[in-house]
Formats: sequence, C-alpha cells, structure tokens
Amino acid sequence: MNELRGRLFSEGYRVSVRILAFCFLLFSVIGCGGRRGGASGPSAMDSTLVITSLGDADYLNPVIGATVTSSNIFGLIYPSLLQSSFDTSTGLLNYMALEKQLREVSGASKKPEAALARSWTFSPDHRTLTYRLRSDAFWDDGMPIVADDFRFSYMLYANPVIASPRQQYLAELAGAETGAVDFQRAITAPNDSTLVFRFHKPVPEYLALFHTSLTPLPAHFWKDVKPEEFRQSRLNQNPLGAGPYRLKSWKQQQELVLESSSRSNLPKPGNIPLISFRVVPDYTVRLAQLQTGAVDVVENIKPQDFEGLHRAAVPVEIKTVGLRVYDYIGWSNIDRDLYLKSGRISPHPLFGSAKVRRALTMAIDRQSILDGYLKEYGELSSSDISPSLKWAYNSTIVPYAFNARKASDMLREEGWVPGPDGILQKDGRKFSFSLYTNAGNERRNYASVIIQQNLRAIGILCRLEVQESNVFFENLQSRRLDAWMAGWSIGLEIDPMDVWGSDLEKCRFNFTGYRNPRLDRLCMLAKEKMDPLQARPYWMEYQELLHRDQPVTFLYWIRETQGFSGRIQGEELNISGVFYNIDDWTLRPSATLAP
Amino acid sequence: MLTYIFKRLLIAVPLIFGVLTLTFFIIRLAPGDPAAFFIQPGVSPNVAMQIREQYGLNEALPVQYLKWLMNVLQGDFGRSFSRAQQPVIEVIAGALPITVTIAVLTLIANFVLGIIIGVVSAVRQNTFLDRFMTVGALFFYSMPEFWFALMMIILFALKIPIFPASGLNEIGAEGFGPFGFAMDRLWHLVLPVTVLSINGAAGIARYVRGSMLEVIRQDYIRTARAKGLPERVVIMRHALRNALLPVITLMGSSLPFIFSGALFIEVIFAFPGMGRVTVEAIFARDYPLIIANTFISGTLIVFGNLLADVLYAVVDPRIKL
Repeated sequence: MNELRGRLFSEGYRVSVRILAFCFLLFSVIGCGGRRGGASGPSAMDSTLVITSLGDADYLNPVIGATVTSSNIFGLIYPSLLQSSFDTSTGLLNYMALEKQLREVSGASKKPEAALARSWTFSPDHRTLTYRLRSDAFWDDGMPIVADDFRFSYMLYANPVIASPRQQYLAELAGAETGAVDFQRAITAPNDSTLVFRFHKPVPEYLALFHTSLTPLPAHFWKDVKPEEFRQSRLNQNPLGAGPYRLKSWKQQQELVLESSSRSNLPKPGNIPLISFRVVPDYTVRLAQLQTGAVDVVENIKPQDFEGLHRAAVPVEIKTVGLRVYDYIGWSNIDRDLYLKSGRISPHPLFGSAKVRRALTMAIDRQSILDGYLKEYGELSSSDISPSLKWAYNSTIVPYAFNARKASDMLREEGWVPGPDGILQKDGRKFSFSLYTNAGNERRNYASVIIQQNLRAIGILCRLEVQESNVFFENLQSRRLDAWMAGWSIGLEIDPMDVWGSDLEKCRFNFTGYRNPRLDRLCMLAKEKMDPLQARPYWMEYQELLHRDQPVTFLYWIRETQGFSGRIQGEELNISGVFYNIDDWTLRPSATLAP
Repeated sequence: MLTYIFKRLLIAVPLIFGVLTLTFFIIRLAPGDPAAFFIQPGVSPNVAMQIREQYGLNEALPVQYLKWLMNVLQGDFGRSFSRAQQPVIEVIAGALPITVTIAVLTLIANFVLGIIIGVVSAVRQNTFLDRFMTVGALFFYSMPEFWFALMMIILFALKIPIFPASGLNEIGAEGFGPFGFAMDRLWHLVLPVTVLSINGAAGIARYVRGSMLEVIRQDYIRTARAKGLPERVVIMRHALRNALLPVITLMGSSLPFIFSGALFIEVIFAFPGMGRVTVEAIFARDYPLIIANTFISGTLIVFGNLLADVLYAVVDPRIKL
C-alpha cells in the first residue's frame, strides 16, 4: 500500500514540477521578449528617461500643486516669465530675461531662451516693475501667451477659496498691506506684451523678480472654472502648457509620462522623446532598479549604498548638489510649561542657559556621526546659512570641536555636578530628558544613538523617543517637546525670521523659544537693503550670534545625492533643482527627435 | 437558512454604522492635521486655514458628523483630501481592480499549494518528505513578508534579472498588443504573487495537514480501503472532502483580504492598490478616504464571516442554521 501511495505522489510531483518549470520558462521568455521589445529592435526604454519618485504628483497646476513631483513636472510643462540660475561662485540667484539679466555671471551655460520676458525695467523708487514680453510664444493649443494670462493667474494665486500655497509671493503687491491685493493697481496689462507689477513698499529688485515670476496658466483655458471648483477641475489632470514637454498619459500612483512637445519654442522640444515619472515607494526597490537599468534617476541615495552602485551591472553615477538640508537638535530655550500655561517666559531649567547649550554641542561628537554615516557627503554646521550661499556665509566661524572634558567643566561652572548615581544634578534636579525624533529616518536614528552615548559619558541621561511624523510635527508646533532632533531644508533667499524671531506668537517655527532682539534687528536691517550684498555684514553678525547662543545644536549639512544612469548625457545639476536642464539631456544610445 | 442570512444582514447594518461612527471620531481625535503639509516656512499661515475651511474642518465636531452622515446616507463618501480632491469612490475604483487581481491570483495559488502540501504531508506522515514540508512551511510562515519580498527582488530582479522589481507593466508595454500587454502584466505579477502565496500556502498547509490527519484515522476511511478502493479515490474523494471543512472558514475570512490589499507587497512592488491607499490616507490624515476604506473592509469582514458560516452549513449537513 505504501509503495502504491509513494508512486502516486511521486508521479504527482513530477507532473507538478513539470508544470512549474513550464510556467517559469514561459514567464521568463515572455519577460525577456516583452522587456526589450525583441532582442534586436529598438526598445521603448531607448527613447524614455525613467525617473523614480517616492510619491505621485497631486495637481499638474502650478497654482495649487504642492508635491515635489508636481513641481518637477510643471517645470517641464509650463512656461516661465524669467529663467533663474544659481551662481555657484557667489551663491546668489540670477534672474534672466531674453535680453537682460539681473547680474552678469561668468560661465553660465544655459541661455535664457525659455524666458517669456524680453526685458524689464524697475522704477527708481523700487515700487514698479514693468516687463516686456516676447510675442512669439504660444500655448500648446496655438493661442498666444499674453500679459493678461499673468494677471489672470495672479488673481488665482491670490484667491483665498483656491488656497494657493504660493500666495505668500503676493505679499508685497499693492493692496496686500490691507489684506487683499488690489488687482486694479497691482497688476496691469496695458497691451499683450506689457505687464506691470506695482508694490505697496520699496522692494529689492531680486525679490521683485523672484515674486513676480510665478508660473502662469492659460487664461482662455481656465476662465470658465469657478474658484470653488478649481481644485476639483478635470483640467488639473489635463494641463495645457507651452514648455518643452506635454502630458502624454497619467496613471495615478503609478506612472506619469511626458512627451517632447514638438511645437514648443520655449526653448525647444525636449531632446529625450519621453520622460516617465514612476512611483516606487520602497527605497530598496528603487535602488535595485537603478542597478539593473530599469530606471535612470533615483534621488536621495544613502551613503552606505554607493559602493553597491559602483559595482552595478549598468554604469551608475552619483551626483550631488549644494548644501540645502541640515539636521539639528532643538533645545527648548524657555520653560515651555510655564509659557503654555501663562504665556510668561522664563529660561528652561535644563537648556535655558546659552553656556549649557554650548556645552551640549561640545559634548556631541558630530564628526563621528559624519564619519560613520554621511562621510564626505556631509559637513559640520554652525548656523543655518549654508556654505553654498557664499555671499552670506561666515567662513571665519569654526564649528565647536568635540571636547567632553571642556563640556563637563562648563556644565560644572553652571552648577551641574555629578550626583551619587553619576547623573549631573543642580538644585535637586537631574539632567535627564527625552530626545524626540520622527520615525523612519535612518540618518537621525544613527545620530541619536551616538548623541545618547556622548551625553551619557558626561553624566546626562537622554532617552530616545521616536514618534510618527504627524504626531511629532504637531508636538513640535505646539511646543510640547523639550529636546528633539529634526532638520530644515533652506530656501535660496535668506529669510530666517519665522525660525528665530522673538515674537513667539507670530514666528510659528521658533519651536525653541529663542529670543534675541539684536538678531531680530539684524534680520530687519538685512531685509531693508536693496542689494543683497550690502546685507552681508548683517548676516555675518547673525551667524556669530547663533554660534554663540546655540539656540539649537547645529549638527551637519547634508549633501543630497542622486543616482544617475550612465546613459544620461548633458545633465547639469544645480542647487536650484536636479532637473534644472532636463530638456537638454540626451540618452545613449540616443533616440533624439529629428530637427 | 434564508431567515438566518436576513437576520445577520439586518444586524450588520447598525454594526457597520457603529464602526464608521467610531472611526469618524477616533481619526478626528487622533493627533495630526490634514492641513499640516501646508504649515511650513515660506507658506502663508492663511493657507492651512483656507484648506481646513475647504475641508469643512473648522466646524464643530457634531456638525461635521451630521453633515457626513447625511452625505453617506446618500451614498456620497466625499472627496479625498490628499489625492487632488478626487471623489473617494473614484480613488477606490482605481485601486480595487489591481488589488483584486493580485488577491484572486494569490488566493488560488494559496489554496491549491496549501492543500497539495497539506495532503501530501498528512498522507506521508513522519517521513522525511513530511518533516521537510513541515519545516519548510513553518520557515516560510514565520518569514516576514516584506523581507521575503525584498530577498526575492534581490535574487530574481537584481542577481538573476529575469523578473521586474516593481510596477505593473514595462515601459512602452502599450505597444506590445493586447496579448503582449496581458503577458507583460502577468510577468510583473509573478514575484508578488509568489511571495504572497508561499507565505499564505504555508499556513493553509498546516491546517489541511492537521485536519487530514484526523480524518484518515477515521473508521470510514479504513472501510473504504478495506472495500479495495484505489488509494487515490480514498484520499481525494473520501478523506479530502471532509478534511477541507476548516479550510472553508479560511476562505470566508480571506474575503476582506481580496479587497483590502496586501500593504507591504503593494509598497514594495509599487502597486497602487487598496493597501497603499489605506495607509497613505492614514498618514495624510485623509479622513474621507480612511472612512470609505473602513466601510469597505468592515462590510467585507461581516460578509466574509457570514459567507463562511453559510458555506459551512452547505457543505456539512450536520450543521443547521
């Protein structure tokens, strides 16, 4: 009987194994055939650049689009009034029209051929900016791009029902000082090629150019959409643009494909026929796909993966842009309980003294965090002005070196002495606190363990707490944390009042409660200067103040790293964007459009 | 039985509404703000306020609840906060076919593999094959799905690149023709379905083995063999039919899985299915989408259980409903 049973099942197995092997073979054959569209012919991949992203675009509409992917995409679809470039020798942004630019920059490679403005004039009182527009620019449906498109678009940006995240750009326009922009005065379009902006106060020219170069929408295409239906409109998924690319297809949360727009003269049809933005939420998978050549661009590669990428089957290059992101440990400078209960401000019992905060910075071995994790892709920081913004960066400040002994001495001078259990104490209070951070950030997890060890070594008890990002952010905002580790990504224009301003009600991002009237004054003086270079002395002193007071422990600047397939050619990375000159990129083997 | 089904359905209505009401209040009381994304330097503080106004979040909670209730009673689950204000029904309609495709393929593979392994293990109890399968099944059953998926990707997409690492179709798959497109889709589903079904089949195999072992010791099996029936008939017709009774309960409880999605697999293989929709909605505090998803999974759990009970009564004459 057993023999019979054995035969029965072993036959069954053989059949199953054969079926499995057949299926495997079938899929492999289909797979390999489908993958490249046949072994010899050109495949779709040859003419498609594949960019992976963590998340999908939300709206393909510059008035309301808010995700990074959306910004990358509407940068390719829509035209822009001016072109901007980042001058790496000074760290200043330059704005360019066809025939005029804000400042002369040596060695700028990208000519401003995509700009809609021919030129501009700025009134001597710094209150009126007049653009002269080109007349040979057209939307994809053949209608000309005219000054009224801008006026119409700015009215959308300003409309509270639409709730544009870019409405802050309109804050200097005439009427905004009373709460609502007066469009009769603020923006006028005397004819199709003249566009005039009027401000309620003198504005530096660079800021006027920056704030008036919001992306326009075609007025004729959008004019019938009611503001209350603006966010729900189907047009957000079928945009009409004028840039080097236009939307080909969009499968939400999967893939968005742009095709080169053959009619575009802003500046020209994109070189690569198709660009596919694929949503791949998992980092390991993005990395594996870059290694196999299934995708071409992966952003934010972790330093520990560089070696694997260098050994990949297809050539992969790691590229970096400037320093825009930093991590820090926030210390509540004020007694937040007292402040939340009564609005009164008194120093925090642990972190209230600048000397204690300096000691904490010295006690943390920031260099070993860099050596262990970021390696050459990080730099010690001493303030929130990036070394990439050379015009404002104070290079004379040397970041505090790791010195546990000196840190202990400074704490002793402040009255913190070791208790019987080895933990520092003062007036019966132990130096013990929780350091909060958000979940899912490997770099901060790595750093937090080193920080905990460093502090323990000088007798400070630091418990590590990880919170879900939404919860963490809400706690931070409502000033419910004593100590936390977070990061900021800085803008290319310096405007730090939101983060350090002494008015804690108004300055929503001053989570530490740091207050320094001199720093407020410096920020104000710097803002009043019509030429940013004249504000340099103020920013120098600003950085000295932050270095001295250490309202937070500035940890390190992070050089964001991008993985590029070796088949991409002609890419120029810039701090203002990874896809800064994507319309000039080509693929090898190249399948560019015929001229 | 019809009265029983009717009664159960009647009870299900207040039950599901209770679940939805609880979800409505719990998510609103949980920390986090749907407009939090707009609270950042350089963005006017008015934006978050305007967005909350648009979402109707500035109203008192009871007012919000009443408005929501009225809409839901008319079949309107509202518009998603985080997905460009798409109607949530559309968001779900987009994600559901993907999830159902994966889940149905997975369930078929699960049950077929699970039953085969379970039966073989039971019939050849205590042999090397049985031990090998038991250990193997436990090994895969205890393996975290996300890890297994990543290992499969590293092995079959990176080291031996024969399957794609993610996505539903190859670049330019539209040009392969309908058959090529379908085959390309199937090719993309091999790894995820394999991961899901190996993991699930291992669990089912354990059930089937246990229940099969019980059954083949029964007197009637001995009688069947004594009658001289071939072993195949004894196992397949006499033993298996009775041994599969507990598996039916498993089938019923698998119903919610078909529609609610497999989160890890969807994230790792970049499939925009229901699992991802739900979790992304939770992270973004997308209240309408969370509630609609709760509605779907709640309803399916209730129906799944009902289906399991009814099927049990259908296949086992001893059970009366």
